[in-house]
Amino acid sequence: MISRFSAEIATATATAGLGLAAVVGSLEYGVGWGSAGPEPGTFPFYIGLLVMAASVATLGETVVGRAALQTVLVDRVQAKRVVTFFGPMVLFVVFSLFLGLYVASALYLTFVMWLQGGYRFAISATAGLAAAVFFYFVLEMGFQVPLLKGPLEAALGLY
Amino acid sequence: MENFAPLMHGFGVALTTYHVALMIVGVLLGILVGVLPGLGAPNGVSLLLPLTFTMDPVSAIILLSSMYWGALFGGSTTSILFNIPGEPSSAATTFDGYPMAKQGKAAEALTLAFLSAGFGALVGVILITVLSGWVANFALRFSSPEYFAVYFLAFASFVGLGAASPFKTVVSMGLGFAFAAVGMDTISGGLRLTYGFNELLSGISFLIAVIGLFGIGELLVTMEEGLRFDGVRARVTPRDVIRTIATMPRYWIALLRSSIIGCWMGITPGGPTAASFMSYAFAKRLSRRKDHFGQGEPEGVVAPETADHAAGSSAILPMIALGVPGSATAAVMMGGLMIWGLNPGPMLFIERPDFVWGLIASMYLGNIVAVLVVLTTIPIFASILRIPFAIIGPVIVVVCFIGAYTVAGRPFDLWLALAFGVAGYVFKKLDYPIAPLVLAMVLGDKAEDAFRQSMIMSKGSLSIFWSNGLVGTLITLGMLLALWPVLASAAARLLRTKSSSAAA
Repeated sequence: MISRFSAEIATATATAGLGLAAVVGSLEYGVGWGSAGPEPGTFPFYIGLLVMAASVATLGETVVGRAALQTVLVDRVQAKRVVTFFGPMVLFVVFSLFLGLYVASALYLTFVMWLQGGYRFAISATAGLAAAVFFYFVLEMGFQVPLLKGPLEAALGLY
Repeated sequence: MENFAPLMHGFGVALTTYHVALMIVGVLLGILVGVLPGLGAPNGVSLLLPLTFTMDPVSAIILLSSMYWGALFGGSTTSILFNIPGEPSSAATTFDGYPMAKQGKAAEALTLAFLSAGFGALVGVILITVLSGWVANFALRFSSPEYFAVYFLAFASFVGLGAASPFKTVVSMGLGFAFAAVGMDTISGGLRLTYGFNELLSGISFLIAVIGLFGIGELLVTMEEGLRFDGVRARVTPRDVIRTIATMPRYWIALLRSSIIGCWMGITPGGPTAASFMSYAFAKRLSRRKDHFGQGEPEGVVAPETADHAAGSSAILPMIALGVPGSATAAVMMGGLMIWGLNPGPMLFIERPDFVWGLIASMYLGNIVAVLVVLTTIPIFASILRIPFAIIGPVIVVVCFIGAYTVAGRPFDLWLALAFGVAGYVFKKLDYPIAPLVLAMVLGDKAEDAFRQSMIMSKGSLSIFWSNGLVGTLITLGMLLALWPVLASAAARLLRTKSSSAAA
């Protein structure tokens, strides 16, 4: 489904882009010699150039060795597994930002166990809820580390 | 032995009920992260680190380093029982450990692995005890150019000695430096590379990068393979332990050789993974029972395990004495030291001897505790892997994101962790090394400061890096290492043309 060759090209292009971003970003802060020695942009500027050069070299290596890189990196079955795992993870992050980490964790664990794990809904929901309560007691009570909270905690008066 | 008195003092610090309890907790948590796929030592230490911010640094480092020992042991367990390395560094243990377990010698393999690991770790710690004071004294003479040279040497050895493509190593390392540069510039105090995003003002934490790259990235790789755990059941009885101890002296050459390889790879940033593979390769080549390797040869378990743990513990030496960590996990711990307000390096021995020697003493005790704990609790931890991955996987995801949030309490970090997770997956699939990126993120500011201060000292001339014998040697050695792949291939080509012209 995805060949090693195209993945290598895409990744090296992306890292070259990040290198370029560092170069462009540091130009704003000066890349020469200032009154107090090298200016703040100097180090990231040359690092950015180095990343770009190494990315281009990787591109070159890839193109030269392309015959050996026409292998399948990720096949259809594997891609499906990764997407079904990654998709809910993204939703989990989105929900965390609106509902807080505890509620999002409970929902995420419940639905993943129920829909993907094949467990009964009651068992899944109990497990999700138990995990959220466990994390609450360990973090907020045990270590006094506050997590991101949402409307539910506010309604319950938990801070 | 001049280090004996401070070491005894260190034992006084480490041998309190509270600290021994912390060691047990740390080892148990470590075995847990070591056993679970997707959670490894660097990631486990990163997740636990934010919870130690309020602790005393000595207690905190005891907890974190014990977790490291536990993780190393946990990784070997899954290698032997499930043929799945829980840690990358225990991959070489699967070659002979799993065949042994399948032949019904699981208890022997596990005991052998744990004892040789304990031996390797002990050699590493003794090395630290003997050398650390000396190295720190030596490093007291360092000023900025020498420090930059040491950092340069560390990164050059990744390029020259790493198994991955040198260009990919440079990309990974450079990205680490670039990420470290985001946010506050430590010399001028100004902000840079924020691209107008308020979220980037306080920089990108290396902890988020580790959680994403090692945790989420590894989980995605694990998921893709659709893991099924078909393990061998094992119980370790005291009789097995005693019988295996009696066979240990038979492997003394392998133990010694592997310890030396491990210590060397741990002090130089080769890391435990490279050490264990190298040690296995040596054992196989030099053994009289060459043909038995890969089919359940005990020496094939002893060699990688000893080297793995020797490297893991000796990686602490350059971290505390020079401020240059020898492995990704040591890098995370060193980042922790800086967060606790300690400055890793030679001054630490003078400013906080209680911390340094408490840590070293705790390494002796922690490894003994780890061997005892791991031998008694293995059946419990092995049974964790019988829980379906549909439950374990998402729980690890939740733990990773909660950990990412606890680093600084910033919602934006959740997105960053996700992005690093994707990057970790791609890097892993395409053989980009991840350790140089983490090391560069931890050392980024220090390396840049050292470079800029050197430039200020020399008024912008690079000749300062050859201004005295020490710095010149370090830099030249670094350059040779960095260019090693090029030099080696050029030499090979030269030899080939010579031999082909001779044939013609």
